[in-house]
Amino acid sequence: MLQNYFKIAIRNLVRNKVYSAINIAGLALGVASCILIFLYVQDELSYESNFSKADRIVRVVGEVNFEGQQDNFAVTPLPLENEVRKFAGIQTVTQLSKLNKQTIWYNNQAFSEDNLLIADSSFFTVFDYKFIVGDPATALDAPNTIALSEELAIKFFGNAEQALGKVLKFSNDSYKVTGVFRNEKHSHLDPSGLVSNMSVRNRLSPVELKNLWFNLNYYTYILLPGEAQKSGIQQQLDNLTTKTINPWLKENRLNAQMRFLVQPLKDIHFDSRYAHGLAPTGNMAYVYIFSAVAVFLLLIASINYMNLATARSAKRAKEVGLRKVVGADRTQLVSQFLGESLLLTILAMLLALALVEVLLPSFNTLTGKYFTSGLFLQWEFMLLLLAIILLVGVVAGSYPAFFLSRFKPADVLKSDKMPRSGSAILRQALVVVQFSISLIMIIGTIVVFAQMRFLKNSDLGFKKEQILVIDVPYGDSTLVKRLPVIKQKLLQNPNVVQLSNSHSIPSESLNRTLMLVEQDGKMVEKTIDIMAVDYDFIPLMGIEMQAGRNFSKDFKSDVDGGFIINEAAAKWLGWKDPIGKKVNTGDTTLVGRNAKIIGVVKDFHVQSLHSEVKPLALELRPESPGYLLARIAPENQEATIRFVEEQWKQFDQKHPMEYFFMDEFFDRQYKAEEKMLTVFGYFAGLTILIACLGLFGLASFTAEQRTKEIGIRKVLGSSTGNIVLLLSKDFAILVVIAIILASPVAWYGMNKWLQDFAYRTDLSWWIFALAGTAALIIALLTVSFQAVKAATTDPVKAIRTE
Amino acid sequence: MNKEELIIETRQLEKKYVTDTVETTALAGVDLRINRGEFVAIMGPSGCGKSTLLNILGLLDSPSGGSLKFLGQEIGNSSERQRAKLRKQNLGFVFQSFNLIDELTVEENIGLPLAYLGVSKAETERRVQEAMERMGIAHRRSHFPQQLSGGQQQRAAIARAVVSDPKLILADEPTGNLDSVHGREVMALLSELNERGTTVVMVTHSPSDAEYAHRIVNLFDGQIVTENINSRKHAAELL
Ligand SMILES: Nc1ncnc2c1ncn2[C@@H]1O[C@H](COP(=O)(O)OP(=O)(O)O)[C@@H](O)[C@H]1O
Ligand SMILES: [Mg+2]
Repeated sequence: MLQNYFKIAIRNLVRNKVYSAINIAGLALGVASCILIFLYVQDELSYESNFSKADRIVRVVGEVNFEGQQDNFAVTPLPLENEVRKFAGIQTVTQLSKLNKQTIWYNNQAFSEDNLLIADSSFFTVFDYKFIVGDPATALDAPNTIALSEELAIKFFGNAEQALGKVLKFSNDSYKVTGVFRNEKHSHLDPSGLVSNMSVRNRLSPVELKNLWFNLNYYTYILLPGEAQKSGIQQQLDNLTTKTINPWLKENRLNAQMRFLVQPLKDIHFDSRYAHGLAPTGNMAYVYIFSAVAVFLLLIASINYMNLATARSAKRAKEVGLRKVVGADRTQLVSQFLGESLLLTILAMLLALALVEVLLPSFNTLTGKYFTSGLFLQWEFMLLLLAIILLVGVVAGSYPAFFLSRFKPADVLKSDKMPRSGSAILRQALVVVQFSISLIMIIGTIVVFAQMRFLKNSDLGFKKEQILVIDVPYGDSTLVKRLPVIKQKLLQNPNVVQLSNSHSIPSESLNRTLMLVEQDGKMVEKTIDIMAVDYDFIPLMGIEMQAGRNFSKDFKSDVDGGFIINEAAAKWLGWKDPIGKKVNTGDTTLVGRNAKIIGVVKDFHVQSLHSEVKPLALELRPESPGYLLARIAPENQEATIRFVEEQWKQFDQKHPMEYFFMDEFFDRQYKAEEKMLTVFGYFAGLTILIACLGLFGLASFTAEQRTKEIGIRKVLGSSTGNIVLLLSKDFAILVVIAIILASPVAWYGMNKWLQDFAYRTDLSWWIFALAGTAALIIALLTVSFQAVKAATTDPVKAIRTE
Repeated sequence: MNKEELIIETRQLEKKYVTDTVETTALAGVDLRINRGEFVAIMGPSGCGKSTLLNILGLLDSPSGGSLKFLGQEIGNSSERQRAKLRKQNLGFVFQSFNLIDELTVEENIGLPLAYLGVSKAETERRVQEAMERMGIAHRRSHFPQQLSGGQQQRAAIARAVVSDPKLILADEPTGNLDSVHGREVMALLSELNERGTTVVMVTHSPSDAEYAHRIVNLFDGQIVTENINSRKHAAELL
């Protein structure tokens, strides 16, 4: 019997090629997308899971309230490690810090690395990185040692084994390679190397250490003996605040509160509350959105199957009747049809797997992940495939199966009567569902696109184009001293318009500093973002002055004595006329330095347009390292860059010149959205494609069903145009209904998405009109292909078909 | 041949079709008894309810009133599953439009009833072979229905009807779509089956086909108007 079903199923598939192709192609596309999305979602959700102790590791994060301003930090103070070590119920505590970007040298080879962490061997007790060579227990025990990631070891030495014992140079010191560990990409930590803290962190006396509670540069991780001890740790952290930190704050007359919280390791990836994390956090919303998209794609493909199967049911009716005549009962018929849908699903699944295999590299590029087809062998993946087969094969298959098996032989075996082809209303409703989903996706894509264009074209308050940014390596004081000479040389080229050096540039996170500011005649403490710049920064960036003046060499007192703030700061401090207001930096070394506000700049966007412009102070540091900015002419850009590179080489043989463009660097902040736009665009295209495949099938079915009617109409004088209109009209109505249904849903969803941005584009009517028109045109093109075919057949032939 | 064994007995059998607002009475109180071994022809004008009656007798449709006994068992209101079971064990059908499954070969079509009966593969093969030989279509075993002539298709359909060795064969205008030569061939086959003991109930328009039957039931407007014994057939049998 099974063999018999199988034969019929195969023969039906082969005989109805268009129908089978539509179903299998649609399902395969849907399933392939579903698989890709599953890989992405599973990856996002399983961060840190490769560390065997992941469930027992927590990170300590800080809540710092300073002068009424609350900040959440992933970084914690240096003295915390020693305090936590005294806690009851912990196994190990480890602290690490991030090293500034370094140029690492081996003989004449140099690579620039900004993922170096400083730690001691307890790090590897907590995070069990797999060592290829070396011993994790002792790798970081000695001063001036480094454990390399496999990737970095390969970059330098070709393989891990070669690296062991070699000596690398950076930061004016030498470091011996004591081990190589496998990269663990699936983590918020992905160090390219771990430098022993014996060599970098000064050994501090307990007294010195005691005063460093505001030195927030260290990531603190605790390994617990079991999973359940988190609350005990929290209690002890709170005790630390009340018994140790609060008295210290009081003693130092600081109006601040500091509290520490326990954050499970596995929560880090999706928790975006804490600033200065080691890696950008993932976005749970995107996980939800993509999961929904996966379900939608499967739904749309399943609807195709249901619609086409019931539309074609008239053709299967006779078979159903006959099987009943010779003794089949309904259960047997239901299982036969379910078997057919399962077969179809499995075929689609095989095609989908092939598709995934082909698409995986591009998908990796798109998402920045590292999937391989080896994942296909995971049991989670097998479960997914099984779930899809059951869901699509059984759920989508059961409606046609129950519908078809209901036919009564007495009805369907009459040669003069054709049974009705299932409920046309239900089919139409399902088509509306498909197009509504497609439209929501299309509208979403257009909105994201419009917002991206808005972000990139918005006035940032500075001119980000044509600024070449050159990295000035930290710690190279001789180079910094020579900057004025380098600048002179560079300016000899007429295409180098202007130069400036600054400590930081827009889109980087800025230092925060404690300031004493004048309020009603008294000096009060405030914290404010600060940017160290030189005389030329403001003009070079094209930032406009709102009041007062720029830093000037004519005023000796500007160095250490002048600050420029932005409008937001003026407003925040409640200053109507800020010029001349007294300020003082709270940095202990600078107490007593009396400074004044000398100017106010118009607000410019240091951060992306996700957030509002924050209060900012600019201080003058004519020789601050960090970056050298060059505004260059648009003409002969490449020649100019080459010229700058050659000049740079004259002064700095130690580091290869690293440069980038300000606008590209700034727009990197929209990378997540950019990615989202691409991925969403593809999937929107897919939904409409699959929906149209179904529409194509339905249209061909309708045209076939109405062949006789069309023939008669033509004999009676109807034109081809009239008939195309007749056949297309019904489908057009469905798309219009979908537009009406989808628009408010899309409006709601996209409005919510836009709330993430402090500055956003309008959800104007044209977006909806554009999406609607596009969907309508695509649908009509699909349908009219069949309609024209039907309308142009010979009417005599058409009438004769019975 | 025990003529007293009843295969089918109906009493005041009724069938009403309700479509939208129109109610059609297809059968209006039919009393009919069919004995084992009989060959009964049902005749009457188009639309008088012949097919309806045959479908109900064949358990393909359920009556709206009256009683229907099959092998002495009342089954007027039995479940679809139960009727399917009785059908596959006892009944064979032949239709005017052949009604073979287009996607199956002749051989597969004929084997279908045995598949639903759960007959083993070897036994199926043997019985299908036998049925095909009896109907003279063994050489067309792996053809699909569309590749056969009308007469060949009807012979395949009869082979399918008899392969499970049913007690009763129901035929609805089996010669309706055939020319007279093929028509006579089919009638000869049915007749031969009847002579070997299978009960046959046949709907027909053709008086010459009806000549093969023992008894002719005339239907008009859903009621039996006359029942005639075919004396010539009885005479022939007596000879
Ligand atoms: N499924 C049905 N629905 C409604 N009316 C039907 C149906 N089948 C048959 N009829 C009606 O019942 C009557 C008897 O039909 P039928 O048994 O097919 O007649 P015959 O086979 O004698 O030509 C006719 O009037 C026919 O129109
Ligand atoms: Mg009839």
